[in-house]
Amino acid sequence: MATTTATITLSSADILSDALSVSATSTLYKDASTSTGLDQVRMGRNEIATGTTFDLLDATAAGEDKSNWVYIVNKETDPTYYVLITMYDKGIGRLYSGDWMYIPWGQGYGGGTAAKDDIEIEAFNGTCTVEWACFHEGETLTTQAD
Amino acid sequence: MATTTATITLSSADMMDNAISISNTATLTTADTATGLTETTGLARRKFASSSKVDLVTIDNTDIPTNKSTKIFIRNTNARDASKYVIILLNSQEIGRLYGGDWMFMPLLGGSGEDVEIDPSDTTETIIEYMVFHE
Repeated sequence: MATTTATITLSSADILSDALSVSATSTLYKDASTSTGLDQVRMGRNEIATGTTFDLLDATAAGEDKSNWVYIVNKETDPTYYVLITMYDKGIGRLYSGDWMYIPWGQGYGGGTAAKDDIEIEAFNGTCTVEWACFHEGETLTTQAD
Repeated sequence: MATTTATITLSSADMMDNAISISNTATLTTADTATGLTETTGLARRKFASSSKVDLVTIDNTDIPTNKSTKIFIRNTNARDASKYVIILLNSQEIGRLYGGDWMFMPLLGGSGEDVEIDPSDTTETIIEYMVFHE
């Protein structure tokens, strides 16, 4: 069993009258488990051109309601360049330059290919380079067909 | 202008042959600028003891306008239990499950009705902490 941890630290000296410091660490377990860690991962780096919404991560029936954790960071430095993250056409939010997100991903499959909760991405104001990782379970490779 | 940072570290010494170590720090800025966000809900804490779906954060165009820079942190503070979790949704679109101890951090597109919702798996008392940064 693998042990993978995710830690966040939120801090600010001046957004409130007193300093803000919030920290949390979680261990990535398989679904419905308190002891078995996730043991599969996919990672990538992509250049996202403007004008098209792309599937960054495809939902699969095998991944539905499993433990899947997605991390995405926008590596651009121009503050006007952002990517819009959507899921099954539902706008989630914008990642501006340097922004990252980390979410559980239910991979709703909707019983068919038309309603999948794919994680989609579109760049605005310029090509954006993103890096991503998906820690997950439930993936089985498809049989070679050609 | 305030300076607020969000740092993530993802690490595993044994998932692969070589260690995984991903770390990034984001400075939270307003849309299309390098100016820091200056508004936050502060860290809030709520208890849920119903299996019904409810709003965790109600979004409207006054407090959290659409198409701006908004971030939310959510944490399930309960101890991990294999059968108890909360589903996080965005205006009925499921994002995923937070078991006890899990946390998430994501941008919000905002807009009227784009509420952040929570759907507990059962009636076990669950304590959720959350914080929104916005402009």
